[in-house]
Amino acid sequence: MITAGAGTAALPEGGRVDFARLRRERRARLLEAMAEAGLDVLVLGRPANITYASGARQLWTAGARPFGPGAVVMAGSGRVHLLSTWDDGVPDEIGHDQLFGLSWNPARIAANLAAIPGLASAGRIGTDGWSPGAGSLITSVAPGAEVVAAGPALAGARGTKTVDELACLRTAAAAAEAGMAALVEALRPGVTERQLMGVHAAALARLGLPTPPIEAAACLMPAVGGGPGGPGRLRRLVSDRAAQAGQMVALTAGAIYAGYEATLSRTWLVGAGGGGGGGAGGADGAGGRVASAAQKEVAGRARSLRDARVAACRPGAVSDLLGPGERAGSEPVAWGVGLGMEPPLLGAGLGAGVQLPAGMTMAVQAWAAAPGSEAGGALEADVVLVGADGPELLTRFGSCPALSSDVVH
Amino acid sequence: MTKSIDGAVLPDVPDLARMRTERHARLQAQMSSSGVDALLLLGTNPVAYATGAEAPGADSGRAGLLRPVALVVGGDPQAHLFTPYPDGAPAELAEDHLHPAIYPELPDGAAAAAAAVSELVPSGSRLAVDELPHPLAAALGSYEITGASGLLGPARLVKTPDELACIRTAQHINELAMARVQPQLRPGVRQNDLSAWFLEAIFDLGATGNGIDPIWQVMPDRLADGPWTTHGDVAFPTASTDRILRAGDVVWVDTGIDWHGYASDFGRTWLVDPLAAPTGRQAGQFRRWDEVVAAVLDILKPGVTALELGRAAIEANGGTRPWVEHFYLAHGLGTESAEMPMIGTDLGDAFDDRLVMAPGMVLVLEPVIWDEGEGGYRSEDIFAVTDDGWVALSDHPYDPYGSRSW
Repeated sequence: MITAGAGTAALPEGGRVDFARLRRERRARLLEAMAEAGLDVLVLGRPANITYASGARQLWTAGARPFGPGAVVMAGSGRVHLLSTWDDGVPDEIGHDQLFGLSWNPARIAANLAAIPGLASAGRIGTDGWSPGAGSLITSVAPGAEVVAAGPALAGARGTKTVDELACLRTAAAAAEAGMAALVEALRPGVTERQLMGVHAAALARLGLPTPPIEAAACLMPAVGGGPGGPGRLRRLVSDRAAQAGQMVALTAGAIYAGYEATLSRTWLVGAGGGGGGGAGGADGAGGRVASAAQKEVAGRARSLRDARVAACRPGAVSDLLGPGERAGSEPVAWGVGLGMEPPLLGAGLGAGVQLPAGMTMAVQAWAAAPGSEAGGALEADVVLVGADGPELLTRFGSCPALSSDVVH
Repeated sequence: MTKSIDGAVLPDVPDLARMRTERHARLQAQMSSSGVDALLLLGTNPVAYATGAEAPGADSGRAGLLRPVALVVGGDPQAHLFTPYPDGAPAELAEDHLHPAIYPELPDGAAAAAAAVSELVPSGSRLAVDELPHPLAAALGSYEITGASGLLGPARLVKTPDELACIRTAQHINELAMARVQPQLRPGVRQNDLSAWFLEAIFDLGATGNGIDPIWQVMPDRLADGPWTTHGDVAFPTASTDRILRAGDVVWVDTGIDWHGYASDFGRTWLVDPLAAPTGRQAGQFRRWDEVVAAVLDILKPGVTALELGRAAIEANGGTRPWVEHFYLAHGLGTESAEMPMIGTDLGDAFDDRLVMAPGMVLVLEPVIWDEGEGGYRSEDIFAVTDDGWVALSDHPYDPYGSRSW
């Protein structure tokens, strides 16, 4: 039962998400995918895959870490063995005998792996990464094994979402919206992009969530200052430049709940007010600043493009998603989202042959550029469920009133 | 004691362009001596080291799919950078060395990634890699592949003065943020509230990213009251939640931020009470911690081995190893939050005996004093080995425990 809406607190009747069922269903999907791929063992190093297999609450760290065995899934026993020196954050169904401790010594790591029943005699091992060092470790433990890519099996299992995964995604979406509200509230002349990043991260932490999935909270327009960014291009790295009244800013908010991610982007006019009713320049909701025609035009173009891409999130081919504007950006226009960013990535030359299944969740973004104008560009992004009957928006946040073409001024 | 590294003084403000040039020279020297034609790097931290490219802090899933990639070709004055974040490229990077992003993790991106490599490195060349995702491995079949750790490790082991200045700046930001957070500590505050104050502060103070979700672990008095562990030793660090902090809680703090690719590492023990004063036993734990650090610093200079430093720490702790079994007495710090040199790991005494301190090495000393039945004390401080001793890169009080002696 999910009747209490999105929230992170445990509830006496069992809460909003049935985490035991969530883990059980994920594990079943994973074992099924392993069986289909003929894998005896999965050796997982990517934190999201480790979460998917084990349900362990892991410590968030930034960046892509080197591949190494963090979880080992055995098809025969259906058991998940986990790299964890302690049982804090480890679900009950993973017993102490399924934990192996942190080690810096390759010989010890090999011995820990060799102690997992059935691993040494495995015939086919799938891994989600590979490096010369970790690779030789695995082959030394299971000398007779064929080591293959686990990516397709993992993508198959993770691609469509269970009801509890969707509940987690909805909670992440609500939290991401809270992050966006905090950004809009803090947006006033003088605030820097970097300060906005701190405002966003703090808003998520106050909700009890870890560091946001991407620290790209704000990009003031136009992108001035030369360099490869150049005017009319979205910058993903915040700077110390301060917002000026009348300037547009691309705001991106994101949240992780129980490992599940939602992000959204909105373009706002500095000094226009909105969102939480704050912002400098007036209390009348539209604020004191009036957007230029160029700003409204590009903001409207981004919204239309976003709407079109959202509408294209239907089961089947992705040709509509890869339509107009696909080649303009350096980033993909859409990607899978669940336990963080997931395949498929669409755009930037990727995903041409992809078929979207119903039940997949996608992050969809639209960047519209206005090179050479003071408007710079506009960014809109949302998270969408590919529903059997059509797309369902999971993120919900209004547009900047001052940039909406229907505002009379 | 002088504060120089190979005769060069530690600058107040790092010269980032000079730093990138010197790091590149070190990589080239390692490639040349190990007979590697080109170096292909995918890991967030190795790429930051090789290129100086900046990327927004990101969750591991996103960082794995939208990754900056470095390709260092032997004899080339600069590294090639493939990035989804072109605004993060160093200003001095030549236009023909800055490329659109490649997607080596994806089956439909690996062929293009391999094609990009083949335009710059002839097939048959000896190519060192830090990571080789399966799709890329299949696409790079025409190269002789070898591991990169053997040449990355030695290059990164010893820091340039500019790198040390970066670490000091990162640590300073982290410390200033903590000066804002600690006064908020009182009963009723949750672990995640502390994270919120901390994250807001670091970006206000100029951090370029957060490296790890902040840790505010409440420590038990007895090991049996904490999490079960595989080795029976202390469990640390465990992830923060919305746990409500209570009067008398002893909190081990551990955070790390990023400043232009360099990590900080802040560790302190705090008491949850606005008027907190340590008990006699707690004060004794801090004094013991201080004595261990002092004993290590007393002999820290070029030529001393990691084994000798570890033994000095054990002796100062009355014969008991003053660190937890899954960690170390000290670790290095740079573009990684924990890297070589590490002292006291399960790599063993023979490894530590071969690890000899040299000017420019960084040690984060993090002794743990455990006093079964009365909890424990843990703090971290950062030191660089200089030409004839050491210099501290961290500088933060130990409230409410007291003052250091060294």
